Amino acid sequence: MNPDTNALLATHGIHFNFGKRPILHDVNLHVEAGSIYGFLGPNGAGKSTTMRLLLGLLRPASGSVHLFGHNLARHRVALLNRVGALIENPSLYDHLTGRENVEATRKLRGVAAHRTAEVLALVGLTDNAHRPAREYSLGMRQRLGLAIALLSDPDLLLLDEPTNGLDPNGIIEMRELLRRLRQEHGKTIVVSSHLINEIEKVATHVGVIQQGRLVFQGSLPDLQRLQTGRARLVLETEHADSCRNLLPRLLGGATVLAPGTLWLPWVSREHTAELAAALTAAGQPLYGLRLEQPSLEDTFLHLTEAHAELAQ
Amino acid sequence: MEATVLPTQPTFMAQPLAPAPLTQLRRTLAADALKLRRTAALRLTLFSGALPVLLTFMIFFFKGYIILKAGGTPWPRFISTAWQTAGTLLLPLFVVLLTSLVVNIETKATAWKHLYAQPVGRGAVFCSKLLLLLTLNAAALLLFVGLLLGAGGLLGLLKPTLGFQTYAVPFEAVGWMLLRTYVATLGLLAVQYIVSLYWRSFVVPVGVGMGAVVATIALLSWEHVDKIPYAAPLGTAMSMRAAKGGVLEVAHELASHEWYSLAWCGGVLVVGYLLLYRRNAPN
Repeated sequence: MNPDTNALLATHGIHFNFGKRPILHDVNLHVEAGSIYGFLGPNGAGKSTTMRLLLGLLRPASGSVHLFGHNLARHRVALLNRVGALIENPSLYDHLTGRENVEATRKLRGVAAHRTAEVLALVGLTDNAHRPAREYSLGMRQRLGLAIALLSDPDLLLLDEPTNGLDPNGIIEMRELLRRLRQEHGKTIVVSSHLINEIEKVATHVGVIQQGRLVFQGSLPDLQRLQTGRARLVLETEHADSCRNLLPRLLGGATVLAPGTLWLPWVSREHTAELAAALTAAGQPLYGLRLEQPSLEDTFLHLTEAHAELAQ
Repeated sequence: MEATVLPTQPTFMAQPLAPAPLTQLRRTLAADALKLRRTAALRLTLFSGALPVLLTFMIFFFKGYIILKAGGTPWPRFISTAWQTAGTLLLPLFVVLLTSLVVNIETKATAWKHLYAQPVGRGAVFCSKLLLLLTLNAAALLLFVGLLLGAGGLLGLLKPTLGFQTYAVPFEAVGWMLLRTYVATLGLLAVQYIVSLYWRSFVVPVGVGMGAVVATIALLSWEHVDKIPYAAPLGTAMSMRAAKGGVLEVAHELASHEWYSLAWCGGVLVVGYLLLYRRNAPN
């Protein structure tokens, strides 16, 4: 058994190279049972490569992948029995109908025959199941790929950019479906994306990858806490410069944005109150004092950019 | 001191259980057979045998009275003409196209990544497609023979003067030819199968196969031509003779090029499998 007994999926020190080019460095994923793990990163950061490693499609140069507490390299076939996956564009046979595409994988996995109709209904393709897959729109292909991934009622779902090519309605439906799968069916889902807005609405946990390194991993509240550390106070007054000179202790770290605007890192509620009192005591007008929270998107950009600079 | 007992979690397996190898193979085969529906590979199998039979039928229908003016049984001449038409160029090209088309079903759908993420071993995937190819190849040959004998029977009805209806069909000789021709295609089938799997494209194996067939024809007078798998079907087709006494002469044993074909088949499949087994599957 691997030491991470509460992790349904864990990687230990994964390194991967394409030829001589290093792609992943020391990636340690930790996905708890019953979570929706949003795997975030800009394009080319190594998301798809990581997803392929999790399925045993690629072999790591070093490190190991554990699913359900067992080493994937040793028990690949047995472990994949409980995994459903959708990797990038769904693999569809264009000469077969939607239903036949589902049937091909159903037979391959030895799943009961009634599941075909069930998963087609689940993704809303029952009425189009008789049409050849080559006539399907991008969104329908994505849904059919998801239906195939859900066939065996897997405990773990690995979805690589599942909203690719979906319209806004389709994205909302996908989100609802993922939420339902977790809440009603107890699935654990790893979903990769390069869009934070998409992930924050559905994920319980987040991992951020940048240039092949995991730069953040934790629960969604953890990520939100990370951004409160980066919150700032915006202060509006008459003469920003003189305010800063009058209150060097409180405003020493402040930046002058405009002649009448200052901003400074947010410290605490007490600090904010003291600042307001000190300003009025010093005879300066206080037109506005507000707390600015960076959005998750800012935090994500900060995480990925900070690391890009570090690497250079 | 009490030992700490870890709580058993229902989501974790004590012992991961994979389906038995034969179950994996059976499931993969069922899926592969389904994927054949409406494919060019299937149409090629069903209709490839018809062309040489149709050609031979026309030749004998219109010019049979010249070809068979010596009298006696028309079957040996009829069968050997059709077999040599099929065996020289068509059969090797058929095997090249068939293997490339069958493997291309997965390549075209970018389905290798999907296939290898399913709970079936790579061995099952490899063997299933191989069995499918061997079956399609056998089916095409059987269809060819069936059509050929049927065409002979039809000539007996339409052109009774040729005598197809009065003489017996040389079933034994045809049976041996069928077996030996099948064996002769196995070497090149294995080479083409590995090439298709290795390059995962349609163009490369077809190019390699066509090139090899053409090169083989240029090398026919070489003393080692029997060792080239692409030459084997031709060697078998040429070994059949319609002897003077109206007998179809077919050796009731495998010739050297057929043994080489079997050796190529076994050797290439083992080496190819080992080569492919540890490969990454990025697409």
